[in-house]
Amino acid sequence: MRSEHQIVMSVYEAKDDMQKADDLIRDYIPFIRSEASKCISRFCTEQDDEFSIAMIAFHEAILGYEHDRGAFLSYAATLIRNRIIDFQRKEGRHQGVISLNEEIGDDEQTLMDKIADQRDYIKESADLEATRQEIEELSAVMADFGVSFSDVADNSPKQNRTFETCAAAIRYAVENQHLLDKMLKTKKLPLRQLVAGSGAERKTLERHRKYILVMLLIQTNGYEIIRGHLRHALKTKGGMSV
Amino acid sequence: MKKYIVMECHLSYAVVLDEDGHFLKVANRNYEVGQTVTDVIEMQIPQSLPKEKKTRKWVFSLAAVAASIIMAVTILFQMGQMTFASIYLKINPEVRIDVNRNDVVVGLSGINIDGNELIEGYDYKKKDLNLVIDELLEMAMEKGYLYDGSNITLFLDADSNEWITSHKINLGKHLGEYLKEKITVTIKIISKKQIIIPIDPDDSDYGDSDYDDSDYDDSDYDDSDYGDDNYDDSDYDDSDYDSDSGANDYGD
Repeated sequence: MRSEHQIVMSVYEAKDDMQKADDLIRDYIPFIRSEASKCISRFCTEQDDEFSIAMIAFHEAILGYEHDRGAFLSYAATLIRNRIIDFQRKEGRHQGVISLNEEIGDDEQTLMDKIADQRDYIKESADLEATRQEIEELSAVMADFGVSFSDVADNSPKQNRTFETCAAAIRYAVENQHLLDKMLKTKKLPLRQLVAGSGAERKTLERHRKYILVMLLIQTNGYEIIRGHLRHALKTKGGMSV
Repeated sequence: MKKYIVMECHLSYAVVLDEDGHFLKVANRNYEVGQTVTDVIEMQIPQSLPKEKKTRKWVFSLAAVAASIIMAVTILFQMGQMTFASIYLKINPEVRIDVNRNDVVVGLSGINIDGNELIEGYDYKKKDLNLVIDELLEMAMEKGYLYDGSNITLFLDADSNEWITSHKINLGKHLGEYLKEKITVTIKIISKKQIIIPIDPDDSDYGDSDYDDSDYDDSDYDDSDYGDDNYDDSDYDDSDYDSDSGANDYGD
């Protein structure tokens, strides 16, 4: 009873505090691992996908927990089980494809594939390094604005219409480079100009301030790889604006 | 297949950016920052419990309380309206007065034609028993049913013996006082209970004496007649009985 009360308090604290959430999750890794092991009926290592899923499910449990849901740990256990079952079902659907790839490993053709894979991997690892540098730079600039990627993920527009509204504002800023320069100089999002320029509602943009900020930062110099990744998005945006 | 760049890694999740510009929190399957991944498991924060349910619960309990209050009030009201006892008032017009537990009149009906005529247009609602009897006697006097030397018979019918006993005394007193200066009448108050008592003792004792004297037998049988439901009709006509029991009761 007492320990239950304790954990509920920590859960409520962890809802808003990422550091506390991490601490709580770290404390309960044995529990998470044991729940995951139960689901796959063998010992679950940290390399297993099921372990990662159990971890995120535990995090979801922290965020989604309410007093009405009963004891936290049993709630978390249920959530972990559900998510792993969902995952296994989804994997089961693709099982044919994956196993085919793996079986090829014994054939001659597979060697070709393997070589091709390897080449990809080398290229990828170079890319990876470059990408990581870009992201680290971006992250540092974001820190100046007091924003982290987790904040942005939480702040990312979920609804399509909202997303389009934000995209319109971003597009407007890209077409008016001086806004981006001004933003970097003042460390402030030029919200008023964006509202005036894109015709979006101020409230909508304000709500997704962090998201727009990061998207605009990406449009400033030095983030070619990320921009390349987003090329598809930019194209549709361009297409839509014309 | 959708591609995602891993932007940030945490213990329990990673933040990835898809090609359309969505940032997502996904399961961290041993990702590292900068990696491009294809198959992600997105974080799904459970929907908070619908508030609706809470309200519904609350409404249910409120409805239950409301329903019980309504039921209680209804029962109380019905108990107020329920006939607890009946008084048959016979002069020549005969009427039945129904009262509730608090001696408030809840029903009034004529037993014979004169009785109907007497109470026609009379409003008894929420009046006290004594008042209704007084007013009925007053009206009877006005209409010429009640005059010096006539008889008034009150028959008390109730399940409660206590009620009968107390009302026998009270009604007698009340009527005696009320009519004292107006008119001289004989008042008889009788009840079922009074009749039941003589039957209670062992039959064998009575049986012996009954067999001895057949004439006496008749008068005894009067008592058993009272026990019948037909009592009202047959016994009132029996003048012998009336004078006997009337005298007894009034003395009580």
